[in-house]
Parts: sequence; C-alpha cells; structure tokens
Amino acid sequence: MSNLLRPKKFKSQARNRRISLGITYAVLVLMSIIWLIPLLWIILSAFRCDYQADGTFIGTVTSYFFPHHFGLKNFADLFSGTYYAVPNAFPRWMLNTLIIAVIDCVISTFLVLSVAYCMSKLRFKLRKPFMNASMIIGLFPGFMSMIAIYFLLKSIGLTGNPDHPEYSIIGLILAYSAGAGLGFQIAKGFFDVIPNALVESAKLDGCTNFKIFIRIILPLAKPIIIYQALMSFTGPWMDFIFAKVIIGPANPEYWTVSVGLYSMLFGTYADVNLFTQFAAGCVIVAIPIVTLFMFLQKYYVEGVTAGAVKG
Amino acid sequence: MKKLIAILLALLMALALVACGGGSSEGTTPGGNGGEGGNSGEGGNSGEGGKANDNGLIRVWVGEESAEFYQKVCDEYIAAHSDFGYKIEVKGMDTGSVAGTITNDPAAAADIYTVAHDNIGKLAATQCAKPITAEALVNQVTADNPASFQGVIYSTLDGTKYLYGVPYISQALFLYYNKAYVTEEQVKTFEGLQEAAKAAGCKAITVTGDDGFNMSFALLATRVSDHATTVKIYEGAESVSGGSKGESNCQGDDTVAIYRWLQAYAADPNGFKWASPDGWNADLRNNGVVAVIGGAWHYNAAKAAVGETNLGITLIPTFKLTAEAVEGLSGVAAGDEYRGGTFADCKCFMINAHSEPSKYAKEQELIMYLASKEIQNRSYLECMNVPAYVGAADFIKQCFEEGKVSESEYNLAASQVSMAEWGIPQPFITGTLNTYYYSKNAPAVLRAIVDQTKYPTTGDTILEETTSVAGIRKALYLVEYLWMHGVTPKEFPANLPDKA
Amino acid sequence: MAKKDKRKADRAGFFQKIRNGFSYFVKRFRDGSVGTKLSHLIFGAGNFYHKQYIKGAIFLLLQVAIILFMVLCPSINGTPYGYKALLNLPLKNVTKGGFDPATGAMTASSNCQLMILFGFVTIAVIFIYFILWHKSIESSYKADMDKKIGLKPTTFKEDVKALFDQKFHITMLTPTCIAALVFTVLPTIFMISLAFTTYNQQDMNEANTNLFAWNGIQNFRAVFTGEGSLGFEIKNRFLPVLGWTFIWAIFATFTCYFGGIILALLINKKGLKGKKIFRTVFIMTIAIPQFISLLAVRNLFGEYGPLNSLLMNLGWTSQPIGFLGQKPTDSELLAKIMVIIINMWVGIPYTMLMTSGILMNIPADLYEAARVDGASTTKMFFKITLPYVIFITTPYLISSFVGNINSFNTIFLLTGGGPAYQGYQAGGTDLLVTWLYKVTIDQGSYNTGAVIGIFTFVITATITLVTYRRSKAYNEEDTFQ
Repeated sequence: MSNLLRPKKFKSQARNRRISLGITYAVLVLMSIIWLIPLLWIILSAFRCDYQADGTFIGTVTSYFFPHHFGLKNFADLFSGTYYAVPNAFPRWMLNTLIIAVIDCVISTFLVLSVAYCMSKLRFKLRKPFMNASMIIGLFPGFMSMIAIYFLLKSIGLTGNPDHPEYSIIGLILAYSAGAGLGFQIAKGFFDVIPNALVESAKLDGCTNFKIFIRIILPLAKPIIIYQALMSFTGPWMDFIFAKVIIGPANPEYWTVSVGLYSMLFGTYADVNLFTQFAAGCVIVAIPIVTLFMFLQKYYVEGVTAGAVKG
Repeated sequence: MKKLIAILLALLMALALVACGGGSSEGTTPGGNGGEGGNSGEGGNSGEGGKANDNGLIRVWVGEESAEFYQKVCDEYIAAHSDFGYKIEVKGMDTGSVAGTITNDPAAAADIYTVAHDNIGKLAATQCAKPITAEALVNQVTADNPASFQGVIYSTLDGTKYLYGVPYISQALFLYYNKAYVTEEQVKTFEGLQEAAKAAGCKAITVTGDDGFNMSFALLATRVSDHATTVKIYEGAESVSGGSKGESNCQGDDTVAIYRWLQAYAADPNGFKWASPDGWNADLRNNGVVAVIGGAWHYNAAKAAVGETNLGITLIPTFKLTAEAVEGLSGVAAGDEYRGGTFADCKCFMINAHSEPSKYAKEQELIMYLASKEIQNRSYLECMNVPAYVGAADFIKQCFEEGKVSESEYNLAASQVSMAEWGIPQPFITGTLNTYYYSKNAPAVLRAIVDQTKYPTTGDTILEETTSVAGIRKALYLVEYLWMHGVTPKEFPANLPDKA
Repeated sequence: MAKKDKRKADRAGFFQKIRNGFSYFVKRFRDGSVGTKLSHLIFGAGNFYHKQYIKGAIFLLLQVAIILFMVLCPSINGTPYGYKALLNLPLKNVTKGGFDPATGAMTASSNCQLMILFGFVTIAVIFIYFILWHKSIESSYKADMDKKIGLKPTTFKEDVKALFDQKFHITMLTPTCIAALVFTVLPTIFMISLAFTTYNQQDMNEANTNLFAWNGIQNFRAVFTGEGSLGFEIKNRFLPVLGWTFIWAIFATFTCYFGGIILALLINKKGLKGKKIFRTVFIMTIAIPQFISLLAVRNLFGEYGPLNSLLMNLGWTSQPIGFLGQKPTDSELLAKIMVIIINMWVGIPYTMLMTSGILMNIPADLYEAARVDGASTTKMFFKITLPYVIFITTPYLISSFVGNINSFNTIFLLTGGGPAYQGYQAGGTDLLVTWLYKVTIDQGSYNTGAVIGIFTFVITATITLVTYRRSKAYNEEDTFQ
C-alpha cells in the first residue's frame, strides 16, 4: 500500500516545494529591493545632472526619484570644490581619513589581539577583575568622556593646538585606538576555541609565552585578525561625531571625510545646493568600504558569529 | 629645563614597564605603571611652548563665505606695511556656531574673530574677548557707525565700560520671492502673496529658521502709518554692570493682534509655513512657497533654488489686521496696516582674550584697516556683505548706477538697508541678558503661538493653550518675563495688564 | 539564608585580607635587609644593595620624576599639575581675570575644567607612586628571600626575559591599561564628577562668569524638585525618555532579531539559487556607513522627498506627511513607529549574517533523528532550529539590547530626537544617549549631561549585570574550553 502511495506523495511534495520556493524568491526579491532603494537613491543623486529652465544647477533633494539627466558634474565639483575655505577639501579629507584609518587599524588590531590572548590563554591574578572592569567601563555612554578626552589631548598639545593644527590627527588616532583594547571580547571568544592542548605542548617544548603567541596563536588567528582590522579600518570612515569634537570646527582641513560630508548637509552649507555633491562623496567613500566587505565577507561573518555566541 | 624633564619622563615611562614587570614576584596589577608620569611629562613640554611665546602670526576667523576675500586684503596690507611684523592667517568659520566654538575653548580660537553683535555680551562676560582701547580705532568706530550699533558693542569689565566689537557687516531680514509666481504688486502685501500662492497651489511664505533672530519678523512688526509698536526690549537700560534693565514689553494689544493674524495666516492652506526640515531652500525650490524671509547670507542658496532670473528681492511685505484679529482688543483697529519687522544686527571684529599682549597693538591696527569704509565697500562688491557704516546706502546706490553690481545684488543691499530702518538691533545689556531670549526658549514659545500648540511654563509641566486672546497674551508675557528675568515666572498675574 | 552567610563570610574574608596585608608589610619591613628597609624611603635602594643597578636606577629615576612633577607643578594654559593641582581641586581659590588697558594684557580667569581634570591626574600619579613604592620594596624583599635560600637575585636580563614568558601578560596588557586609564577611566571619572558641580554653560553665561564650583548632591536633589534649568529638564523629561528608551530597545532588539532569523531561513532554504547574491545585497547595507544610508532614508521620507510626492500625486494625502517628526507639530507616534521600522532595515542584515552561520552549524543528526520520528518541517523548525538558535544567541540578545539602549545613529540621523517638545532639549523620540549628546555637546550643560549619564549607566549596568552574571557564558567562561 505504501508503495503505491509513495510516488503521488512525492509529486505533491515536489509541487509544494516549488510553490514555497517561488514564494521565497518573491519575498527575497521584494526585500532586496526595499533594502537597495536608499542606496540607489544616493547613487542616482550622485549622478544627477539636472538644470532649471534658466540654467541653474539643481543640487537639492528633489521630489522625483529618477534624475532626468545623468552626468559626472557632481564628482568633478566635489574633487575641485572649496569647502569651508579649504581648497580641494574632499581629496584632503579622504587622505586624512586614510591615514587615520591605516594607523588606527594597525594599533587597534594589535591591542585587541594582545589583550584577547592574555584573557584567553594566560592565567593571572587580576584576570577576572580586569574583565569585569572592562565590561563596566564599556557601559558608560561614550559621549560622556568625549569632552574630557578633548581637554586631555589638548593639554598635551594633540588637538586645539594653534601652532600645530596637524597634531590633531595624531590626537584623533590616539582617541580611536586607545580604547580598542577593551573591546577584546570577540577575539577572546575566537581564541577560546583554539585548543589549550596546543599551548600546553608548546610549553613542554620550552616555548615562551611570547613565542607561543607569535608562532602558534597568531597564524591560527587569521580570520579574527582580518575581522578586527576590517572593523578598525572602517571605523574612522563611519564616525562623524567623535572626529568632529576631537578635531574641532576650526580646522576643516584636518577633518575626516565623514565629518566633512556630514557638515555639507548640516553646516552653513546646508543652505546651499550640496545634496548631490554629498551623494557623490558618499559613493566615493562607500566604494572602497563595500569592496573590502565583499572581499572579506567570509571573515566578517566568522567574526560576527563568534561575537554572537560569546556575546 | 622643563623640556629636558619632559623627555626624561617620557623615557622613564618606557623603563617603568621593565622595572615594574621585572620587579614583581607574581601576577601584578596589569596596568598602572608610569602611564601618568609619561602623560604629565609631555604636558610639561607643551606648557613650555604654549602661552608666553609670540609666534609672529595673527590668526583671523571670519565668516566662511568671505574668508578668501579677507585673506587677500590682509596680504595686501602686509605688502603695503612692511613694518607690520606679523603674518596673517584668515580662516572661514560657520557664523552660526562660531560663538559656541569660542566659549568652549577660547585658548584654541583665533586672535581676531568675528561674531554677530548679540554674542558680544556672552564673550565679554566669559572672558573670551579683550576690550579694544586704541584711541584711533575707538574714534573710527564712533565716527562711522549709527547710534543703534554703538549702543550694543560696549560691555563692562570690572566696572569700566569698554568697546568690544567693531562692526563691519550689517545684517537684517528682507524678502526673497519667486518672480515666476509673484507680481511686483502682489509682493507688497502678505495678502498679495497669499493670492499668488493660491494661484500656484502652495504656501505663501516661510522663514529660514525658527530661531530668535528669524522670529523678529512678527514680533517686531510695526504700524506702517507711524512706525509704532508697543514692543520694548530693555528700553532705557544702562549698559554698565549694576545698571538698570530698563523696560520690556511684549504683550501689547498690537502684538497680540499681530499674532492672532499670523495664526490665521499660518492656518490658511496658502499662508505661512515653517521651513521644511530639508531646509527652507527646499521649500523655495520645490515650489512649496513663493517667498522666503531671509538675510543676505542666504543669497547664494536662494539664487540656486529658483535661478537668478526668477529671484526677486524686496522689503518684508505689509499686512492688514483682520476684524477677527482685533476682536476684543483696544488700541488696534481692523484694517490697520503693519510691516514685518527685523532685528537689525551687525557682525563685529573682536579680539581674543587669550591672544598674546604683544600682539595687541597690531591686532587693533589690523582691525582698524579691516573695518574701514574702504574694505567694507570692497567686501560688498566681492562678497555681498552689506556695509555697516552710516551712509553705506549712498555707496550701494552709486555702485548700481555705475553698473558694478547686478540688479538683484543692488536690491539685496538696498532692501536690507531699508529694512534696517524698520527694525532694531538685538539689545543686550551688561553682558548676557539677551541670551535669555535664546537659551530659555522664548523663540519656542513664539513658535507655539503660531502653531497654536501648547507649551510648558514653569518647573511643573503646566501646559498653556495659545488659541485664545488670553492664552496668547500669557505666552507673550512669558517671553517678556524671560527677557527681563531669565526664568519662567512662578505664577502669572491674574489680570495681565496692558502696559501700553 | 545561605546567601547571607556567604556575604558575611565574604566580609570577614575582606577584613582578614586587609589584616594579612598589613601584617605582611610589617613583616617585610622587620625581616628585610638594610636595602629593603631603605627602599621604604628611597626607591630602588634595595636593588642597588643587591647589585641590580639598572633596575634600581629605573626605580630611583621614577621616584625622582614623580617628586619633581609634584613639586615643580608644570602648568598648561596657566593651570598647574602637582601639589598645586591638589590645592586647586576644591575650586575654592579661583580668580576672575582682569585687564590692563595700557599693555593689553589680560589675566585669564581660573580654568575650572582643567583644575578638576589635572587634580584627578595628579591623584592618579600619587596612586602610581604608591604602587611603585610597594613594587620597589617588594623587588628588594624578593631578592632578600632568594638570597636566603641560596639563589642569586635575578639579573636585569632575566627580568626582561621574564616579561616575555611568565610575565608576558604584563607586557601585553600594559599598553591597553595605560591607554584605558588615560583615555577612558580618567575622562569617565572626570565627567561623573561634573554631576556634582555647577558646570552649565547656559547658567554660567547668564551669571556673567566662566567659573563654576562644586555643589554636592544639589543637582540630584534638583531632579526631584525641578529647580533650575537642570531640574526643569530632567524632572519633566527623564521618565518619558526612559520609558521610550526601553520601548525602543525592546522593539528594536526583537524586530531585528526575529526578522534576521526569518531572513536567514529564507536565504538558506534548500534548493534556493542565488544565495550569494541575496546575501551580498544585505551585507552591502551593513558596509555602507550609517550616516550615508540613514541620511538617504531621511531624505526619501522628507517633506519634499519622493515618497511624500508620490503619496500626494496619488491623492492619498493633501499635505506632506511628517514621517520623521522633524517639526514640533508632527505626530510623535508616527515618528516612533517609523524609526523602529527603519531600524529593521539597519539591523536585520546583521542578525541574518550571524544566524546564517549558526544555522549551518546545527548538528545534522538532530534533524536526522527528528525525520526518522516523522516530524514535519514546521515542527522541526519550532522544536529544533528555533530553540537551538535562541540558545546559542542569548548572550547576543543581551548585548544587542544594551546596544540598542545606547543606539545613537538611528535616532540622531533620522529624527534628531523630534518632534521637539517646545521648551525642552529632549524631544519625542530622543533616547537617553541622544538626549545626553544634545545637552552636553549642543548646550554645554555638562552637569545635566553627567546626571543623565549616571542614570543611564546605572540602568544599563543593572540590566547587564543581572542577566549576564546569571548567564552560562559568564559563569562557565573558564571551563568552556
């Protein structure tokens, strides 16, 4: 009996599966569209090249979604434009951000890995208190300390320094990377999975902790290194509050690109026709970050998953 | 010597790690070795290089729209005066937020900066600004500027009255409108704008923001026939510490009637609206309104929004009080014609209190040059900054007649100069009283009246309505009280007197 | 009962520890060599005594440096460090500046912020001095002990070597600790302390001064009485903002969490083609900086944005809708719903990525067993998949809840906290953290901000500690490996 029924059941199952797959496709495509609309809007605005009847360029937000004309004018204007009396401001901001991001990336990744290694593989008296303290400190809203960090940096001449405004970039790098070590949890979660037996056997072979770290742990930690590096590299491109407070409104030539772009919409320049140039800037900023994410997707997912499991 | 100590300390910081780590017998405090020593060491270092030395540079902050111009004229000045002895670096700053930037960290601000005059009191009181004493400069300021400005650029320090700000740009509100929709006849009255808006299917007019400065368009409206208003702000005040605050009045019948009129005008589908969160220029560009009340610094944005050919510039229009607006009020009659008012402000050069004394004489010399009529005139021609000195109107007219400026550029300056006659400078006395008007939310209360929404009054959340005559008068009384006392009143008088 | 006993025992243990520590100090002084005794006065004396010259020199130099720092009082912008900073800390002898018209010299007023900050730095230096003092004696005493049992005191080379082996954690943690102390701990303490001062730029402007003072717990009292600008703001707005912060955090956490799980299930559905493309689409929204994507969304929903113009063209509305509460007259409820919905746009891809990884790791034999038992797909989802995912991601749920309480970008960029409550800083959609930002960075009311910050901290800390300390992840952190 069951033999007789089986093919029919299979058939209906297959049909059900097809239907449910179809629905899944429809839902996913719909969701993808919803998720892409804002990004599309930015890209379309960046390439928009519409003029009014009398030849005035339209740079504001428009009520229509699709531009009437496309062109590269916004990009050309962005790269040659003078903002906040800084000639060629945008390329400068890009360069500043690149410098900050690269250095921050190196320092932060090193700090995170070293702390995570200690917390995961070494045992010492103040380990638990350190972990608790780092968690508690992390609960204070970061904005609270922003002003104090400004004053501290200022008191060692690393920001608000009239004679050397360029030092504020060093100040910002310090401010970004100094706290990085306290965000060791994800990397620690990753190290925890590396079997202790490996470490023990290396110790029996007479390896020092330093050598274990360099020769055994680091080579195994490639995914988490890449994850941390990715996170700390992209941080400065995304932050628009901290950088503004630390570098200050008086030194627009040392701003990061996000501060610059943000103030295009919310400074005095908010008055002017800058939305399309802002959009062009956004596209330029987003391209390298998105590319990085795409290439390093695997590691990113690994890091995110490790973070989820370890909290 | 100190520098040496600093270097030593920094070295020690590194060594501390070794000493401490090596010295401990078992697990130690992981941190806390020498970090602070190092930090303070570097601190000593920059303390050395910080204050006392005169770096041969005078830094100037101006509005960002005219930074290039002022750098140019400064370079010219140095070239012409080889004995000046200082390099000059001009930087553009956001005019709206620069005063806050300076108060947050005056030591990092420029030697000479420019702010709108209503910040002078605050900057003087918090010792961010230095008095100006050079006789030649004080005389120039007295000779060049209208009395209204001279009343608001002095402040007191230790009981002595000093000049703090040197006016160089005047600022007042006027009207931008879209010629494509509004005729020259219609633009003369709010009712005409309404008519034009109805034809265009949009709102008539907006303001560039809802801050205290922009709020003046209604608060300071005056009767056309005799320039009269019952609004008084610190009238008869003495600008010395301990001087009297004078008299203030915001709740005259005419003001109540004006706000009742504005309520109706705002409720009309073709009347007044607040600026879009996307910016007032979005309103203008997207045909959300046909006119905007703004200042000279909005010129480029307005031009970009509707195009130069469509951009009209003129005085803020007049309006006639309706029968509903004057109902139950005395001293005003239906049909009375009023013109929208404005604060007539000026932007001033000021000297930073933290600037080295050795630069003081040269700074004043430089300001004297930058605020001279000649440079003010050039700044009008090159940056559309309307000059502040008495008689600037003649120069503006002459430039137009000689074809040096376009018609809209001329209209802009001429409208502003005319509007200034319909307005008063934002007053402040003995420092900072005027900041009450801003910091204690008086503009928010004024907006609540126009929106006919509720607003909080005292420490407890008592919400007052703004739809009746009594409600409006109460709200206006609150504004007046804030102006005078800087706090909300504990309770409202049972019968609000009409002081007019 | 048992708990109480434990606490009692804890307390006894604590006092015992202090007693032990004290007697150890006495013993160390009594039993130590001359060098050790001398070390109590001069750092490194004991090391010199044991011929550990380099180490001794380092200790001595550090001592000299700190003493010089304390005595010479290097000053920055006219505010001194050192003992003078300690004298300044009570903010009693502050001076208002003056002006000399003849020279143009202006004596600056005291800088109260720096006085407090430098005071704390100096206290930290003193604290470090005592740690060094202890370490110096200990180092010498250890050499004594080594000698006693016939060992040689360690050489400098050995000490350095130890830093790369058994004391490797010190080498590794020191940079982070210094950085955290200077850039996190000190600033946090400084900001907390401002809650006990009159440092409020608005009030100070009105009082014609740039000086402020300590005022004890008056600010906290003002919260209840509603006095002053601080009391007015906090008394009337704290509870509404707190309530909304919780509602927001709950909705934001769970909508993104379950939305993400569902999306992950959809994408990972067997037989679905183009998994990679779909996933890439969603990762893209993570990769793009939020200030870009959220500002784009904000403009889409703006008064003259495409959505409003579409709705008006369709004739569904005659006036533009204020979706994001940017005007005081806009609907608060609508703005709240909108930010929660838009936040799903931000948060779902993240959970999706995370759960995708977990879904693939679910042991296949669990499903095998269920299939053998004849369980349906739906049943397997509710009995196996969901419990497994939730079990694994509980720590994430907690941290994302706390993260949402402190979520700044979404609110700040979309609504700016609006619709505004006329007369207050905190608007209808302001969270504690955006409120804090407005009050401190925009307004300069640092004492108000500090009070709000302390409240926020107490709340997040309580939630975290209660949930986290009970969680397996914390208690079995050590044994997990």
